Amino acid sequence: MRCLTHPLLRKLLSLPLQCVPGQGTLSKGAVVSPKQLFLRHSCSAGRGFVTATDMVNYWQKVFETNGIPEARESSQYIVSFVLGAKTFQSLDSKSLHTPLTALQQEQIQQLSHRRLQRMPVQYVLGEWDFWDLTLKMRPPVFIPRPETEDLVSLVVEEEFQKCENSALCFPVAAPHPVILEIGCGSGAIALSLLCKLPQSRVIAMDKEEAAVDLTRENAHRLQLQERIHIIHQDVSHCSAKQLLLWGPIDVIVSNPPYIFHEDMASLDAEILRYEDLDALDGGDDGMRVIKTILALAPSLLKVSGSVFLEVDPRHPDMVEHWLQVHPDLLLTLRAIHKDFCGKPRFLHIQKQSS
Amino acid sequence: MNVPGLFHFAFLLRGVQTPSWTRWILRKQQLSLPSVPLLQAERKNSLKLLELREAELEEQFVRGDGPGGQATNKTNNCVVLKHIPSGIVVKCHQTRSVEKNRKIAREILQEKVDLFYKGEDSDVFKEKKASEKQKQEKKRRAKENLERKKLFKEMQQLDKE
Repeated sequence: MRCLTHPLLRKLLSLPLQCVPGQGTLSKGAVVSPKQLFLRHSCSAGRGFVTATDMVNYWQKVFETNGIPEARESSQYIVSFVLGAKTFQSLDSKSLHTPLTALQQEQIQQLSHRRLQRMPVQYVLGEWDFWDLTLKMRPPVFIPRPETEDLVSLVVEEEFQKCENSALCFPVAAPHPVILEIGCGSGAIALSLLCKLPQSRVIAMDKEEAAVDLTRENAHRLQLQERIHIIHQDVSHCSAKQLLLWGPIDVIVSNPPYIFHEDMASLDAEILRYEDLDALDGGDDGMRVIKTILALAPSLLKVSGSVFLEVDPRHPDMVEHWLQVHPDLLLTLRAIHKDFCGKPRFLHIQKQSS
Repeated sequence: MNVPGLFHFAFLLRGVQTPSWTRWILRKQQLSLPSVPLLQAERKNSLKLLELREAELEEQFVRGDGPGGQATNKTNNCVVLKHIPSGIVVKCHQTRSVEKNRKIAREILQEKVDLFYKGEDSDVFKEKKASEKQKQEKKRRAKENLERKKLFKEMQQLDKE
């Protein structure tokens, strides 16, 4: 970690050469720890105490100096977390101006040091939110991306449509959808679906034991463990039989690794150093796992059952073409949905009746 | 000195006429179905506010000009929502979820737009006024109580002497 010794940087922090009496001057060339510099800064401000805003500003500058992306956001999330809030904007005026305790400052420093190692904020805090849920996060299990919240909406909508279309649309005879998630990671998709579809059950699968453990942990924290069955299995090596424990499946959902192999090297350090690359790398055309899922789907799905996939924006055409050259699968691409940035991101594929 | 790395990404202005928008409205309607109680609680139903039309809204996200999706791990989930006819802009970063921020942004914007067009007739204004009146009443009563107690103590002192 580079320290703030450069005179230009000290100027940036508005540090005088001499601080309050008794502190003494810093001899040239000495390495100053962020803590010392910080105390001097707040002393020089004449207040003698440190607020949340001071901390955010300070660590933002440290992150910027050290080339850490999202410097301001990172420091805001860390400080808010230590104060028990989710975001800086949600803190009230009182919290922003109350002096921080020594323990709080220490906690912020510890977390910030992890961020200085390019650790993703979600791993630094050990938790992150996905729609209404707060989930534990732990490297190297894949961190849910915001786009994927829309994938959950699509599945929920589809189930509501079915309910509306069917004659049995009152609570007593509500359907009990069985959903299969392939590559559950932290459990974000599986657990969100369980919350939004109270009658549903989920079979969640991941080839990494760390992911299976984390999904299980999150399921228990949310008291959803009775409705989810978590399997440690690689979709490339599994049989349909293993997954039919609750009968034919209504929906298969997945955010499979879909990055083109050649694009892997250009990912941010946060991703390359800490996340499971197998959760990202989809092979040469990014389609390796997508194809595996689609090949397996017909033997698992009910007629008119659906597959919902998150993909790379280049994949919709490729998948459509692939399905056309594999007509025996009886799968049709029903819809392509865009993400909140307007990129084609989600595929809705349906099993036809033979 | 290095270029400040404050903005490693650009704002993306997104028009509203994408399929993802119609789906959002549809989803919103479906989420208020009585048969699914576990979903997000309904906002204060007591307020009658002007409905916002998605076609009149413009939304911005800080997601960068990169590929997005799995290839990006940005944590800025701030949503900036503009109501085009009135020019009112709302910025929301209250939660760590994009979807929740979008929902909250719409709620806040709806209140502001209602205030803008209805002024003192707005339920938002009336509710604020009522709660302020309540607060002042409470303060007044508390002050009265304090003075009464003070007077009582003084009288007790006098009796002792």
